[in-house]
Amino acid sequence: MSERLIAECRSAIPLGAYGSEHASYYLFLSSSGAYAISTELGATREAPSLAETFPLFGWDEREMQDEWAVRMLNLPDARPLRAQNGVMPEAVLANGTGVMHAVVGPVHAGIIEPGRFTFSSGGETVVHLDAQLSYAHRGVEQKLAGMPVLDAAPFVARICGGCSASRSFSYARALETLAAVEIDPGVDLARLVVAELERLYNHLADLAASAAAAGSGPGFARGMAVKERAMRLCQLASGHRLLFDAIVPGGVSAPTLRDIPPVLADLSALRTAVESYLDKLFANVSLVARWHGAGIVDHATAQAFGAVGPAQRASKGQVDIRTFVPYGAYRSIPARAAYASAGDAFARCRVKRDEIRESFRLIGEALRQLETTPRPAAKTINVPAGFSIGVTEGPRGTETVAVHVDKTGRLERIHVISASYRNWPIVARAMDGNIVPDFPLVNKSFNLCYACVDR
Amino acid sequence: MASFFRKSLGIRHLSCGSCNGCEHEMSALNNAYYDITRDGWDIVASPRHADVITVTGPMTETMRNASRDTIEATSRPCVVLGIGDCAAGKGPWAGASSAGGGAAIELFGGIVVRGCPPTPEDIRAGLKAAASLLSRRKDSGAAGPRHPVEIQDEHSTAILWEEPSPDGASDEASSS
Repeated sequence: MSERLIAECRSAIPLGAYGSEHASYYLFLSSSGAYAISTELGATREAPSLAETFPLFGWDEREMQDEWAVRMLNLPDARPLRAQNGVMPEAVLANGTGVMHAVVGPVHAGIIEPGRFTFSSGGETVVHLDAQLSYAHRGVEQKLAGMPVLDAAPFVARICGGCSASRSFSYARALETLAAVEIDPGVDLARLVVAELERLYNHLADLAASAAAAGSGPGFARGMAVKERAMRLCQLASGHRLLFDAIVPGGVSAPTLRDIPPVLADLSALRTAVESYLDKLFANVSLVARWHGAGIVDHATAQAFGAVGPAQRASKGQVDIRTFVPYGAYRSIPARAAYASAGDAFARCRVKRDEIRESFRLIGEALRQLETTPRPAAKTINVPAGFSIGVTEGPRGTETVAVHVDKTGRLERIHVISASYRNWPIVARAMDGNIVPDFPLVNKSFNLCYACVDR
Repeated sequence: MASFFRKSLGIRHLSCGSCNGCEHEMSALNNAYYDITRDGWDIVASPRHADVITVTGPMTETMRNASRDTIEATSRPCVVLGIGDCAAGKGPWAGASSAGGGAAIELFGGIVVRGCPPTPEDIRAGLKAAASLLSRRKDSGAAGPRHPVEIQDEHSTAILWEEPSPDGASDEASSS
């Protein structure tokens, strides 16, 4: 069985893996869509680990071990992924003459989520970083099990605030595939606008934070001001500043894009402000010089750890779900993906800058089409029993939601693989050889979430 | 001294398993539109500098001890201010298998700002009410609670704002 999985890993894009009461599931994406390979666990609950050959499964397989008592054979790092009974497993330390250890967290000195970072450093240079999250683990998947699929939608939207719309989109796509419903062109267009607005406000926040981490006060202040305007545009477009519940199974929420002209007008004004901001930000040589060469992720590392989104496309990666398997309105309005090759903080910031510009173009195009395309109310969908995977391109990359629906229309099991979950192990690798004070800079060039990783 | 520092407010943020939505709105307090530094308020990097601890999330098993340590390390008097429905124990994940009943409930918050997430204006109103509650704690000569438990016993009860109104809330706080 593991031979088949290994062959699949080489021919398709691995998305991740998870366990359930009876089986393990490995998810893949090919140009024809997402699919799963499941293996019954049997009485011994033993399963061969793939993490030795494909490090990207490391966290997934540790989680299977923690949550579903799967006995992973030959798992390279067999520590629990999450805290057990409130106690975090020991961090991995690098040892040697002159190597010091510093632990940061879980409470941080800012308005951010909780996580523990253990630095092993020789002087200023980081030898090893162990990032241990799970402080925001609430038991989301357990809570959702047994819930009627449509009732679960507002809960799914609240797993993680920063990628809420993309997750709702993936969840809706998973259910709609299962129910085999046709989505109206107007709804597809509205969903594209919502998904791109989410990318817009997130990327603006990421660039502002990356500027702050490199010591640029104006870069931060102006960036947070345009991010605020983007959030107000989200409010105008969907009735919620973070786009919660804008995308629902079967359609979009009632307040979403009911009135197009004011949104188009605000979009145009914001675009002018953002263009001016981006030009000034990237023309600031002393700021950009700090981004250059910080936190390099080479292509091989990005591939091995399964990097997704801008983190992957800044390291010579080529996958953007919007262009790889176009969905919804991306079929009629093709997105142009952004790429870079250096794999450093600058490359990631540049990809995000280019994606911001592309988002404006896509939103503008979709809104203009929406002026003449009816946007009907959300359909009531009847979801039959079965298994389905929904995949979309969120701000940080591939957002995967796998659903198992039972005969009564309830979630038997739901599993969320967020883009941040894929990228976190890479942040730790990106720090190797960088200096400790550059951690904020490297970290913010990824700017990953914690809540959707911990769930 | 009390009058010298009357208008300053040190705010320390503590995420107890929120979805990051409340954090997005908390961060907005620093942007040019809401800029709380105009009021002499600031987000501070240590609980030792803080007058107000803002807490978000339903409280996770893993954050329970760390969050109590943070409150313990905060200088007195202080006010625990809950931000969001989760902190109020009314969010989607309250009572989930690894979550508690709300960070502000478990940490004996003086005030909770409702919303999913609350808007920056609502959070500002909550901070104003927290400042008012704090000044009463100072004026009354109370040294402030040494343990979170005492906050509940002597000084306040959780006030859940369905529709946040700063004036009404501070009146309620004084009557408790």
